Amino acid sequence: MSRISPVTGHYVTVEVDGLEYKVFYLENGTGQPLVCQHTAGCHNHQWRGLLEDEQIASDYRIIAYDLPRHGKSDPPENTEWWKEEYKLTAEHYTNFIIAFCDALDLKDPIFMGCSFGGNVALQLALRRPDRFAGIIAVEGADYSPGFYLDWWQHPHANAAQVCASGVWDLMAPQSPEADRRKTWFYYTQGSEAFKGDLYFYSVDHDLRDRLGEIDGDRCPLVMMTGEYDYLTTPEDSARTAKAIKNCTFLKMEKIGHFPMSENYPVFRLYLLEALRILKQRRKTPVPA
Amino acid sequence: MTAPTLTRTAQQWADAFAKASNEDPEIQAHGKDFTCSYLLDATDHAFVIRVESGRVVQVAVDPGPLDVRYQFAIRASAETWRNFSKPEPPPMFHGIWAASFQRDMRLEGDLLVLMQNLRCITRQLELLRTVGSPV
Repeated sequence: MSRISPVTGHYVTVEVDGLEYKVFYLENGTGQPLVCQHTAGCHNHQWRGLLEDEQIASDYRIIAYDLPRHGKSDPPENTEWWKEEYKLTAEHYTNFIIAFCDALDLKDPIFMGCSFGGNVALQLALRRPDRFAGIIAVEGADYSPGFYLDWWQHPHANAAQVCASGVWDLMAPQSPEADRRKTWFYYTQGSEAFKGDLYFYSVDHDLRDRLGEIDGDRCPLVMMTGEYDYLTTPEDSARTAKAIKNCTFLKMEKIGHFPMSENYPVFRLYLLEALRILKQRRKTPVPA
Repeated sequence: MTAPTLTRTAQQWADAFAKASNEDPEIQAHGKDFTCSYLLDATDHAFVIRVESGRVVQVAVDPGPLDVRYQFAIRASAETWRNFSKPEPPPMFHGIWAASFQRDMRLEGDLLVLMQNLRCITRQLELLRTVGSPV
């Protein structure tokens, strides 16, 4: 008997900021779109557990894309990208996500991103609360300095191993070893994009003075962070959530910075709670 | 799992560490070019670990000021190393990056050598979860 997964892959062409991208995404399920952003220097296999989660797929259309320059999404088709240093900005990142959702004609999507995806989730909550029915920021904070390092691409070291072992401690020792090793393996594949992604994560992303402009009533927002995350600690996320109007923060126990990839069975319990909160908020009319 | 004992001497820890590393399947499978020397400074004791082609060939215990050379140093308080070496280390003590970003661990010296050997060093230090604390 063949064992074919219900998860399918597609390419969609996305035009944004004058660039043309051929974007690969995996999807499964039917219902409200749940758009998932992987972490920096990685790809959509981090969402493998969620993509095959039958309970969530029965209520949501789970879509996990590879950001351009990651996984199976190539760099831009229409520029000589190799002549420039890649540095992701908040402006282009958010514009891309909106263009991707438009290209798939998604109605009332929920956006969920982790790490640099959690940070861009907050950027979307600030910039485009009209476009999303809810936002989940995983391992995100207002500001996350310290990881835009030259080591990720140093020509005298093995970049694949530096990136992979450099993020190893971001995972919790309690997470299953096989899943931590897979996540490590994914990180051997993305060193060329990793550093440029971290330009956004640690440099361009800074919402310390703008959290008051984010309105959790207009676009329901949940933040959640693992207690073994040394880069964006639970304290960082809690501080951020506290400064945002009507934002819920969930601290995740015994898990780290790649929760959906390092320990999906634990992560899903928090995700189900986040989805429940978003659904409840949407049903509750916002007082005028 | 080897249970850490309070009565173990620094030399006994060094011997147990070298044995665990030299018998570790991952280091032996991937450490053909794992060659470096580093100081593990645990405040109450210090060790200079010399690795050649994936094998620990010497651990100098509490060396004198000019006794041995090393390329980089990993320093932390005894309390940090004790937490680091628990079978299930608490948050922020679970690796050299975590403890350097959030606790009192310091990475010093030629960090390029550390980065060049990062995969095997990471594994080697994770063996402390079974070998036990150096102090």
